[in-house]
Amino acid sequence: MTDWLIVLTIGLPWLGALAVWLTGDDRPDQQHRLAVIFSVLAGLAALLLIPSAGDTVALRIEVGSVFGDFTFVPDGLGVFLAAVATVIGCLAVIFSVDYMHGEKQLGRFYSFVLLFIGAMVGLVLTDSILLLFVFWEITALTSYALISFYNDDPKAVEGGIKALVITSFGGVGMLVGGLIVYAYLGDYQISTLLSRADELPSGVLAALAFGFLIAAAAKSAQVPFHTWLPGAMEAPTPVSALIHAATMVNAGVYVLARFYPAFEGVSGWTTAVTLVGLVSALMAALMALVATDLKRVLAYSTISQLGYMVYAVGVGDIFASQFHLLSHAVFKALLFLSAGAVIHSVGTRDMREMGGLGKKMPFIRNVFVVGALALAGLPVLNGFWSKELILEGGLHDGPIWAYIGMLVGAGITALYTFRMVWLVFYGTPRAKLHVHPAGQMMRLSTGILAAGTATTWLLAGLFGELLENTLPFHHLHVEAGTALLGDVIAAPATYLALGVVALGLLAWQYRDALGGLVTSLRPIGDAAAADFGFEWINRRVVQWATTAGESLRAFQTGSVNWNVAGIVGALIVVLVILALGA
Amino acid sequence: MSTLEILVVGVIAIVGVGLYGLLITRNLIKVVVALQILVKGALIALVAAGDASGQVGLSQSLAITVIVADTVVGVVGLALAVQTKRLLGTLDVDALSTLKG
Repeated sequence: MTDWLIVLTIGLPWLGALAVWLTGDDRPDQQHRLAVIFSVLAGLAALLLIPSAGDTVALRIEVGSVFGDFTFVPDGLGVFLAAVATVIGCLAVIFSVDYMHGEKQLGRFYSFVLLFIGAMVGLVLTDSILLLFVFWEITALTSYALISFYNDDPKAVEGGIKALVITSFGGVGMLVGGLIVYAYLGDYQISTLLSRADELPSGVLAALAFGFLIAAAAKSAQVPFHTWLPGAMEAPTPVSALIHAATMVNAGVYVLARFYPAFEGVSGWTTAVTLVGLVSALMAALMALVATDLKRVLAYSTISQLGYMVYAVGVGDIFASQFHLLSHAVFKALLFLSAGAVIHSVGTRDMREMGGLGKKMPFIRNVFVVGALALAGLPVLNGFWSKELILEGGLHDGPIWAYIGMLVGAGITALYTFRMVWLVFYGTPRAKLHVHPAGQMMRLSTGILAAGTATTWLLAGLFGELLENTLPFHHLHVEAGTALLGDVIAAPATYLALGVVALGLLAWQYRDALGGLVTSLRPIGDAAAADFGFEWINRRVVQWATTAGESLRAFQTGSVNWNVAGIVGALIVVLVILALGA
Repeated sequence: MSTLEILVVGVIAIVGVGLYGLLITRNLIKVVVALQILVKGALIALVAAGDASGQVGLSQSLAITVIVADTVVGVVGLALAVQTKRLLGTLDVDALSTLKG
């Protein structure tokens, strides 16, 4: 039964991709309908998978001795993330019915979205590092195709290529890691690595641990690989909500959490992870504070929140990290989709031109504010509980300097969130914009996500139990549901964080009175607006690679004599090495 | 000297002649001839290796595959030489720089 559910959750979206593709772009209504049907069915299959979660292999495909078996394990981590990918995926598809209405080439759009959903489910459920790499690359490829969906726009094409190059750079680390595991342990299974990690020489294990950290940082847009995510905002908004907030970017954090038991003993690894999370969270929050493009603010905010999850892995609190991943996926998808409704309605992404939209789009304003409150970390909503769990874990098990940094980050988060809400929905209109109300499908999907934002924290107990029972290598000690939430309320970390969040809100409220302070902080703001120079480094690297390629081209003359001379030369070198070695 | 040693020396000599030909000649037909010599040396090495390791059947089937591929290479190479002579009036490989980007 479980094996069939796994096949369905991965297979249904892929089948849907094929069906939408074959329908042809001359029947758009049919395409919308097929995409919604297949994505909703996949979501249902993923939800049905949750009760049958277990820690044993549920599906094994034998593919011969070279590649090892392709195995799938529906453990707590896997089934929850599969549910997130498919449920938010189907909401994004439902939203697209309105958002993409009248667009050409719907077949291309829906096929890649559905292909992505299937690959993401495969990524979190598989137990084979080789297969993990394959799914990892499919998500990168579909992300590229969807960012560059408007392929007559050079910015969209550039953003897509950037995302593909940077995330694939991480993919190489993962492939090398998988091959090292195979070379030493004779198996591609993740469970083999987790149970026998101590058999690897310490240097090899360290190389593996840091290689996976680089892979994860590239995929999750963490410093210094974060520059691709703002560029990816050229994608249609449902894609941003699905791929760049709720699923693909989480793959990095997921990988860190998944392999944590193998790498936690590597000296310096946890500190490095903590540091990557801390720097990403703080820097991206500052960048969100000065950005003027609505989608970019959300992109920076995503980097920042992923930083919180990475930090949680660094201090060893896997449960808090994955719980925040769940919460963040829900409320950030909500924020992206409602921002999409705004952008679709007014036709601009520049927050300086908006203002006072709340009166004209009350429904979207209401759901957006729900998401914003969750992002800011105000009580009752899901973002509050998971962020408090992370901060509490950080206070107990992490270094104090990192904890203080994350606390400051929480304040900045509240500040930029309220700046964004205010600029878009409140105050007086700053430009004459033609506003039309959001469509039915947009309201439906954002409404469901808003309800989720208010309620998914109730799943904390179930989620914790599942993780504890089905992850044999992680040694989690999660308390039962109510005790867990009581813990959060009683923890001093909570009140500290709430104080800082309140400070952030006050800072926005009295921003006029703080004029002097704002002026003195101007250089930091300018640096943040300039991406702290990372974009400059990026461009230098590209420039250097292009120049190097051009100069190396001179060696490729195409002349037979020179080529043969090269071959003979290489042959002699090999023979000499062999002779010396023997 | 055993048979195997004689074969190894022979192979090195033939492959050496082929490589030398490729290194010094600019004439397209001579390039094809040198390539043929080189591949024949490799073929002998293949058959000898099959004999030495006891896998005669495998090496024979591989050798036949290589012969087929090699024949195709020879035919296409010579056809290209003919066309080059017709179009450019020369067989000098250095003159074939029109593909340079």
